[in-house]
Formats: sequence, structure tokens, C-alpha cells
Amino acid sequence: MRLYEFEGKELFKKFKIPIPESRLVRSADEVVAAIDEIKAPVVLKSQVLTGGRGKAGGIKTAESAEEARTLAWDLFKLTIKGYPVESLLVEPKLDIKNEYYVGVTIDRANYTLVVIASGEGGVDIEETAEKHPDKIVKLPIAVEDELFTFDTLAIAKQIGIPATLIKQGAAIIVSLYNMFKKYDAKLVEINPLVLTESNLLLAADSRVSLDDDAVFRHPELKEMGIEMRHEEGEMTPRERQATEWGIPYLDLDGDIGMFPGGAGFGIMGNDFIHYYGGRPANFMDSGGGPTPERLAKMLVLLDENPSVKAIFGARFGGISRCDDFAKGVVMFLKDHGLSKPMVMRMTGNMWQEGVRIFEEAKQASPELFKNVEFHGIETPIEEISKRAVELAKINAATPQ
Amino acid sequence: MAILVDKHSRVMVQGITGGAGKFHTERMIAYGTNIVGGTSPGKGGHEVSGKPVFDTVTECVESTGADVSVIFLPARFVKEAAIEAIRAGIKFLVIVPEHIPIHDMLHVRREAVSRGATVIGGNTPGIITPGEANLGIMPDIAFAPGRVGTVSRSGSITYYVADTLTRSGYGETTCVGLGGDPVLGSTFNEILWMFEEDEKTKAVVMCGEIGGVYEEKATEIIPKMKTPVLAIIGGIYAPPGKRMGHAGAIVEGRMGTAKDKLRLLHEAGAHPCKTFTEIPETLKKLGV
Repeated sequence: MRLYEFEGKELFKKFKIPIPESRLVRSADEVVAAIDEIKAPVVLKSQVLTGGRGKAGGIKTAESAEEARTLAWDLFKLTIKGYPVESLLVEPKLDIKNEYYVGVTIDRANYTLVVIASGEGGVDIEETAEKHPDKIVKLPIAVEDELFTFDTLAIAKQIGIPATLIKQGAAIIVSLYNMFKKYDAKLVEINPLVLTESNLLLAADSRVSLDDDAVFRHPELKEMGIEMRHEEGEMTPRERQATEWGIPYLDLDGDIGMFPGGAGFGIMGNDFIHYYGGRPANFMDSGGGPTPERLAKMLVLLDENPSVKAIFGARFGGISRCDDFAKGVVMFLKDHGLSKPMVMRMTGNMWQEGVRIFEEAKQASPELFKNVEFHGIETPIEEISKRAVELAKINAATPQ
Repeated sequence: MAILVDKHSRVMVQGITGGAGKFHTERMIAYGTNIVGGTSPGKGGHEVSGKPVFDTVTECVESTGADVSVIFLPARFVKEAAIEAIRAGIKFLVIVPEHIPIHDMLHVRREAVSRGATVIGGNTPGIITPGEANLGIMPDIAFAPGRVGTVSRSGSITYYVADTLTRSGYGETTCVGLGGDPVLGSTFNEILWMFEEDEKTKAVVMCGEIGGVYEEKATEIIPKMKTPVLAIIGGIYAPPGKRMGHAGAIVEGRMGTAKDKLRLLHEAGAHPCKTFTEIPETLKKLGV
């Protein structure tokens, strides 16, 4: 769960990490009131759940209240990478002498937390890691360990914080680490940590990403107004519909509708389609043990997508059952109908029952199945993928 | 011989009286897994599928000699349950549920390492040594005893790969589900090395996907292995920045793409496979 800059800074405040004075505003008029208190020149920072705000024109400097209002007016019309700008953080423009980077994240493969710091603040840390790896300091630390200021004093010195401020710099790093642990974070960054001309250290920006799966145990966040939020930026209408139905779904730019089971095979099935010269129209995961109703909805998404020229279906029943799969497909054929060719393979848990359900339905209403090619375990899934690509080409070439 | 579990393993189920616990205990017993009992605090003295239920893991271990545990509990209870099991002497733990808080998994891993225990999961379908033990939720149908090991970050891929091995006559020694969560109880490295030391395993198929650096980390161990390692990686065509199903499956920032992972594994000596049918073809070429 990604936090807005202003939310991250509220957490910084709780942990005594120094931040610039600020006001959060939700309209151009509110900006004027804010400047009354903060005094120009100010920076107006769009609050959106994505990076790259500066490049997208989402951060503006204003020398006066009037200029601020005009700029704010424009900023509130912006959408940055799919996120509409609905609030701005107004801060005094800082006189920057130096910029540092300080962050804490998780080294997944080595099972440690890592404190990362650099004397190159204000730029993408991964860019620094690529171009100037020697300028990055890393301290791995086990999640159960305490970070002490004697550990971080060395880091503060290494990244070039002046002698008079290394104690404070060390304390800031420890506080960031403690905050990371307290809120079950995946990533916290101060980039840049600014040294002003008047020798103040300030966290000029905040980036905080929390573990979604641990948010439930932080009710204090909710009290601060921080709630679970949609972070997918701009969703297509179909993605929105799928989200409402609780189906993990992504629109892609191809013409083969993908109806597989399991996220892992969902990902790889898409690769197979590419290998055989086709392009998937979507990624989709049914989740373990989908009901017939959910399966039918998945097919609706695919059949009603005008870009889809053929549908690829696969079910290897593990936790999910083939009889439920068959019921879902039959339900869809009866209630909605299939307007594109579909090739599918079904095997695994309860497959005989699944086959029986299909055969029965086909006997009863053969016309429903005229576009369906059905295979069992004897056909390799690669052949099904090739056939889906073929069907899409044929359908695309057929005059409608 | 197989790795981690066989017909001699004494398997307990934590959360045995819950819906999933009961359902899968029944299935595992039907497969022939040696389930000896389980735990559910407050339900000690009850029975599930004829197996005794205890309040604590220590009581279960003392009474039944359990040395392996499968966890079927809500994610928020997993850390405590796992640490309890490891401290009670359980040497191998299967964490089936998904969405375990990341920091919790870091604690679990530390506990496991400090006591020489192995953990797989979260979000794993489990582990199966065909014909001997099936722990978790995997469908029996795909598997047959044989000579190739598999280790995978995806449940569905495990089924397809095992099915391919079974029908091409190679069969499987053990199939391990590493799990789909972002921080896993084990990396490929530990499991690959166990297969290396298993005489019965003549080759290993590792199945990876986008997200994280587990595949990259495996390049540390593969050059040290004599057993051939085949690698199949999902997400060669996955769009960056989009989470595809598993919590752990997202290409973030400059982190390794599936293409990078496959290339690095190849350079380390693994044999890349693009599709499942390439697996038995490659095994044949290698003379397995």
C-alpha cells in the first residue's frame, strides 16, 4: 500500500524526523490561504500515488500568492500516470546546499532489511546504483535487531553529512528504520534529505510503501485517515468490472482472450501464445476453486471484448474442480452464448465429471457448442495454444 | 529416495479442525500420507478423520512423534504457529495460506535457520513425493514416482510440468512448491542442493516467474551441481509494473525480467525450456 507524500510525512513527524512546514490543500483557493501562513516562495507538490511527478509537471514553484493560485488551478486539472491530482502539499521553497538519499527496504532473497544511503540525493536511487555504485552505502540488518546510532553515525559520515550534523543524521536513519518496522513497511525513502543553506536537515520528500498483508494490524493508520486504496492508476472499464467481480484481470493489446487457471499458468500461458505467433488480449487469474458463476463471468469479459477474436481456455484442476469448470462454461453458453471460437483443455481434479457435464449439455443443445473445441489430457497445452492463435487469425480474416 | 518427505514422515496438521484443515487432511490420508495428528488450541482430545487433535504442537509431537507439519491457518496466525512448531522440534514446515505479512516471514525464516528446519510457502500448494506422501493441496492425478525433481514458485506450473514428466515416462522423485508470496520460507538454492544430494533424482526442473531475485540467487548454486537443472520461467512477455496474480509476481524497477532470469540461469549452466514439451526433449538430449 503506497502512501501519499503528506501521509508519509505525518509518519515522519511521529518519529521525529524533521520535515518542512507544510499545508495540504484541495483547491486553488485553499492555496492562497496556505501561503498566508507559509509565505512565498513556495513549492506546490501534487499528491499522487506515483513517482515521476516532477517530470510530469506536477511540482511547481511559485514566487507569490497570485502565481501560486494560477499554478494550483492548472495542477488540479492534471492527471499524472492515471492519477488525477486532487490535493497539493504546499511547502516553503528550500535553499538547498546538499541532497542525500536515505532509505530502508527488504532484501527478499537474503531475508534481511537493508538500510541504504547515498550522498547523491534527488535522483533515482536505482540510477545511482547503476552509474555510481561506489556512492551507495548499504547496511543489511535482521528484522529482529535494533539499529543503533553508533551504526548509523558511520553511514552519515560516509554520505557526506557535515560533522556538526552527523548525530542528527544518524538519528534520522535510526528513526526511519524504526518507522519501517513499526508499520510493516516494504520501502521507506527520504529522497532527498536536504541540507539547507541555514544548516538544517529536512526530509524534503517521502516515499512509503506498506505491506498490504499487514495493514490489518495497524488500526492507528485508519485513525490517521490512511486507508487501503486502489493503486492501479488508470483502470480500463473492463479492469474496473473485473475488480468489482473480484477477478484479477489486466487488459493487454492482443486478440486472444485468455481463460486459464492459476496465476502461474496465467502468466506462462500468455508467453506460449506469443511463442506461437499470437498476442494475448488479457491476463486473468481465476483464483483457487472458482465457482461456476465466477467462471461464467470471466467468459463474459472475454466474449464481450471486441478485440478478442478467439478464446484460449485451460483448466488443470488442483484445488479447483473440473465439474465446477464445466458447469461455469455451460452456464455461460446457455445464459450468454459464445460469439467467438474457443478452444479449451480440461484435466485434473474431477475431470470425468466435468467431461460428463459437457457431453450432456452438448447432447441437449448442440448449437451452443458449435464454436467450442474441447480437449482433455491427451492434447498438450502447447497444441491448444497454437490452435488458439490459428483460430484468432481465421476469425480476424473472416468478413463479419 | 526423494527429499524432505516420504512414507516414513510423521505428518501433523496445524489448524486441523478448520474447514481447509479438515478437507485436506481427509485428502492427504486418502493418498496414503502418514498423517499422525494435528493441533487446534482448545480442541485437544477431539479427532479429525480418526486422527488425534492436540492443543499444542509440543503435545502432538510428544504423543505422535510428528516431525513434519502442514499449516492450514489464517495468515495472521501463521507466524506464531510456525515458530511454535519449529521450537517444538518440527524439522519441515509447509505454509499453505497466502498473504502472510512479509515481516512475519522474515521472523519465521530466522527461526527456521537457527534451528535447522526447512520451511516452504506462503502460498504453496505443498510438496508431493509420488506414491508416498502428499502434503498440501496438490491434485494426485498429475504425479507418478520417477526420477526427476521439480521446484516451483507456481502451483499451476507444478501440475503442468509434473504431468509432462509423468506422461513422458520420467516421473517425479519429489515436487516442491516454493510458494507465490514475496518472501518465501526457502529459496531455490536450499531445495536444489537437497536434490543434488538425492541419488534418486537424476535431473531437476526449476520453475520461476517474474518478480524478486530468487532465480538470480540460484545462479550461486547451479554451477556447483552435477545434477542437470532445467529452467522454465513465466512472464517472458509480462508487461512491467503490473502485478500478475501472485503477490510476488511483479517486475519492479530495474529488477530482473523473465528474460534476464533465464539468461543468467543459462550462463550458470541451467538448460532453458520455453514450453513444457521442451522438458522431456531436453532430458532426452541430456541422457537422463
